[in-house]
Amino acid sequence: MNVLSTKTQDEPKLLAPEELTNPTWSSRLTEVVTAAISTRGLRRLGVALGVYVVCLGLFALLVLSQKANPFGVFNSIFQSALFSNGSIPEVILRAVPIVLAALAVSVPARAGLVNVGGEGQLIMGAVAATGVGVYLGNSVPGFIGWICMGVAGFGAGAVWGGLAGLLRVLVNANEAVTTLLLNFIANDTMLYLLYQPWKDPTGGGQPESRPLSSHEVLPRLFGSSINLGVIIAMVAALVVWYLLKRSGWGFALRVVGGNQQAASRAGLPVNRLRISSMAVGGGLAGLGGMLYLAGTQLQLLPGGTATYGYIAFLAAFLGRHDPFKVVLAGLLFAAIAVSAPGLQLSYGLDGNVVDALLAFIVVAPLVLSSRRKGAF
Amino acid sequence: MNGFEQALTTGIEGGTIILYPALGELIGERAGVVNLGMEGCMLAGALSAFAVGAITGSAWLGVLAGIGGGAVVGLAHAWLVVKRHADQLASGLVLWFLALGLTSVLGANYVSQTVTPLPVINVTGLSAIPWIGPIFFEHDSLVYISYFLVPLIGWALYRTRIGLVLRATGERPEVVSVAGRRPELVQMGAVVLGAALAGIGGAQLSVGYVDNWFDDMTNGYGFIAVAVVLFAAWRPWLVMIGAYLFGVALAAAGVLQAHGIEVNQYVLDALPYFVTLVALVALGRSGGSRAPEGLTKALTNSS
Repeated sequence: MNVLSTKTQDEPKLLAPEELTNPTWSSRLTEVVTAAISTRGLRRLGVALGVYVVCLGLFALLVLSQKANPFGVFNSIFQSALFSNGSIPEVILRAVPIVLAALAVSVPARAGLVNVGGEGQLIMGAVAATGVGVYLGNSVPGFIGWICMGVAGFGAGAVWGGLAGLLRVLVNANEAVTTLLLNFIANDTMLYLLYQPWKDPTGGGQPESRPLSSHEVLPRLFGSSINLGVIIAMVAALVVWYLLKRSGWGFALRVVGGNQQAASRAGLPVNRLRISSMAVGGGLAGLGGMLYLAGTQLQLLPGGTATYGYIAFLAAFLGRHDPFKVVLAGLLFAAIAVSAPGLQLSYGLDGNVVDALLAFIVVAPLVLSSRRKGAF
Repeated sequence: MNGFEQALTTGIEGGTIILYPALGELIGERAGVVNLGMEGCMLAGALSAFAVGAITGSAWLGVLAGIGGGAVVGLAHAWLVVKRHADQLASGLVLWFLALGLTSVLGANYVSQTVTPLPVINVTGLSAIPWIGPIFFEHDSLVYISYFLVPLIGWALYRTRIGLVLRATGERPEVVSVAGRRPELVQMGAVVLGAALAGIGGAQLSVGYVDNWFDDMTNGYGFIAVAVVLFAAWRPWLVMIGAYLFGVALAAAGVLQAHGIEVNQYVLDALPYFVTLVALVALGRSGGSRAPEGLTKALTNSS
């Protein structure tokens, strides 16, 4: 008000009567709107915080029901994720398949497609990499082996994801449904191979593949347990970020996802874009499966992916398909997954308790993200 | 009993575990809501049924508790999806993880306990029929109830007003709304009812089939149920056939191996999924899938 009054005193003759009243009116309006926005914003923030507190409180109750100290449990999760010896590298290694499979959800999401098939694409990537890795054995130098395995993993994932894209385009089979079915076919394919043709004859009858030869294993870096796979995954995430945010392809995907008819009228190759988004997504997950195999597992094992594909779907949801946030969500879930054995050891809680924690974290945005339409 | 007959008998018994949640998924999807959390509903049902069965000594009280356990998870899904308009796929997956975590922790004490299972009843007269008798009429009561449930649901969906409203809700909720019904209530009811059926499936597993509780015991049955509904193209009778097909495929390898025929279990396991995929493609080619319109919308807009 002061500013206005000095203004009117400085240039009294230039102001018409309505201009005199207008600033006060509009400034009042601005004041009211700002106040409304900030209370609404504050209320929203308050509600969000409240929901998270309730969710974590429910988890604490669950822990209490098992006569464990919730503060101790939360502390133990933090310790195993951040502070204990070698914890950060372990979280990062675990995040490799989760983050890549989550990006595999986010890329097709740009084109309006739903990829629930991260699990199957991870598995196929690991299966293809195992096939190539065991076949090559010691016959080629390490880096050629890595390239061949990486290409095989990416390719197998791309085929698995691209198949769903192809079915969507050709026969309008919903990709959310076909990718889900393909997960089970992938898992059964892996188990078939592990129980018969690929079973390690020296493995004591266990259903596991022959281990990769030692120089095919991705080398460790900086004297830590971090391996080359982490770097490759980071580069892949950066490439995805560039493709989605900066490239023409990413822009075209967004147009297709926004309005398919407009996209096809504008001359975009809609079908090709949709298939390619599924193939690239599947390839990313396949690469994740290959990196996890060649960096961490070192041989194909049943249940090796441990539902990471589904966790990744939730990570992509939590990160709202924004590459940067998806990576953060993937790291968070990896940290939670890593904390399971510690909780089992120190508190006697079943290791699956971390699944409940993960769920409580994702339930909060589900409760909040209501797209409220008009009342029915 | 020869190997083939035994495979079919076990297939019916195991198929019933799939049939209940598949019928539940059918009801929900007909109302336009997909529930990927069927696995979670089954786990909740299986643990509630086993716990109550072990404590009270009555498997039937256990089955009732199983219905309740499944319904609670279903209510959470219904609330998130219908009232909060949350992403259907994400909500289902979250509830699966939630139920997996909760049942693993809460059920830890029940792992080595025992329960009096649902008794196997041989239907007088019918079980004496050669072939058909032992395959269809030497099971526990939940299997027989499912024989009646399938035509009942078919009748309710196609011949009653509530079935009409439910199907209309799955196609065009706004029309139902204009007609003076409340589509939100219909959807919530359908999801909760479906989840309760999944709870029975879980009970059939824990107090009817294996008479035991261990964590993650449903081992994918809930996801198979979702696949069966796709296989059946949202038809109750085909859901029954699909459930038995998956059930036989899961049981066959073990039984055949016991009779000295070597087959790889996992080739058989993959077969029904493959058939489902082919069925989807065939349906798609023959002029679009018959999915409820609201369901297709929910699956496309969800990202």
